[in-house]
This record gives sequence, structure tokens and C-alpha cells, in this order.
Amino acid sequence: MVIDMNPFYGSMGNFDRFFNELWGPLNISQRRVAYPPLNISEDVDAIYVRCEIPGVNVEDIDLTFTDSTLVIKGERKIEKGKYYRQERPTGNFQRVVNINSLIAVDKVKALAKDGLLEIRLPKAEESKPRKIFIDMN
Amino acid sequence: MTKDIMQSEAKGLPRMKPATDILETAEGFAIYVDMPGVRKEGLVIDLTENELRIGGKTGYQGATNETRVHVEFGNVEYARAFTLSHIVDREKIKATLKNGVLELLLPKAEKAMSRKIKVQSE
Repeated sequence: MVIDMNPFYGSMGNFDRFFNELWGPLNISQRRVAYPPLNISEDVDAIYVRCEIPGVNVEDIDLTFTDSTLVIKGERKIEKGKYYRQERPTGNFQRVVNINSLIAVDKVKALAKDGLLEIRLPKAEESKPRKIFIDMN
Repeated sequence: MTKDIMQSEAKGLPRMKPATDILETAEGFAIYVDMPGVRKEGLVIDLTENELRIGGKTGYQGATNETRVHVEFGNVEYARAFTLSHIVDREKIKATLKNGVLELLLPKAEKAMSRKIKVQSE
């Protein structure tokens, strides 16, 4: 079981940056410490969390979003037979992502395709930048 | 980290050996290969006399107007080769791609199947 409690979102301190640079020249595949690997990106309207979970049925993925924390939980099942080689990870996995932004919880959507899980977290209207007009007397 | 991956995207995709399970069942051998992000169209399977080569490119969306905040994976090119045993029936190899996992079923040839030998009494 892999548990990752890093507050990834919005907490790139100097210390983290130093370590990231230290790891920089390495290949992507070697940097995978937690399972499943995930990407976080954002645009004006939403935050996107994408992760690679090959071979897991949608029913076996458990997604929960509770005040600013997104939890991705699931299990990778094992095939029956006599194993000659086993490289694919099996068992339970869990990753926790902290989101430091107001999210429209009712509009959160998740989509699984080709082993990629994409979660779209739309930002709440209150957190979007707004122009303020100055009244002239 | 983000810069790193963007650079490698420009240079050409990094090659990766996909994680693989190989197991034997009663009917034959099964190979499971983790290839997340690969679509059916992007998958190549080549069978030569005693080698099975698989390859595939991930089809993740490239540049968008999203800002990357945290990156742990990107587009890669998977490639791996397996040597086939002579007891595999090459005509009956089956491949299925589902949820980013490639399943290859390699049935054993009839003549290689174990069978019981009856002892005859005089």
C-alpha cells in the first residue's frame, strides 16, 4: 500500500525546488516514488488531476473529495497462474491531493480512458478573478 | 520538473520498457503489459519466427493553455521484445488492449500439451 500525503498543490517552497533540481537530470520513469503517478495542471476555469492507472476497472476506483482534499483510492488485482516475471504493481493504492482553491463540488467530473484517469475540478465562481469598476461621483 | 519533460517532448519521446507480467496457465502463457495512454491505433505488434515485439506511443494531449503545476508522467514510447518458446502455437496468439493494459494470450501447441498415458495391463 502506498500512501502519499504530500500537499502538492501550491506548496513549492525553496526546499522542494532544491530537491527537484537535484533530481532533474534523471529520467521520468525513475522519478516515480508514489503510485499512481499523477499530473496536476490548471487553467482559468478548472484544475485538472490526471493519473495513470492501467488495468483498473472504473468500479474499483474510489474517488472522494472532502473540503479541499482529493483522495484517489483503488486496488490492482492479480491474475491467477504460475508467474515467471512480475513487474506490474499489485494491491491497494491511495494518493491524496490537497487543493488550495475553492471548487464547485457539484460539478466535479471524472473520466477514465486507456488507463488514464482524468478528474476535472471546476473552480468556484467566488475564486475567479473579477474586475471591479470604480464609480465616479 | 515541468521544463524537463517539455524538453524531452521536443527532442522526441523518451523510450520506456513497460512493466510486464508473464505467467503460465493450463492453456498456455499470458503476458500482461502496462501501457497506459496507448490507443489501439498507436499499438504495434510484430511477430517474427521466435520473437514478439510490441511497441506503442502514448497519445496524451500535448501543449494546451493549461499551466502545469505538478508533473510525474508524460508522453513516452513503449518498446519491448519477448522470445517465444517453440511450444507456443503462433497461429493462435490473441491480443487485447483494455484500460491501458495489453493482454497477450499465447496458447500452447496441441502436441506440447501434457497428456495422461494409460498403462495397459496384459
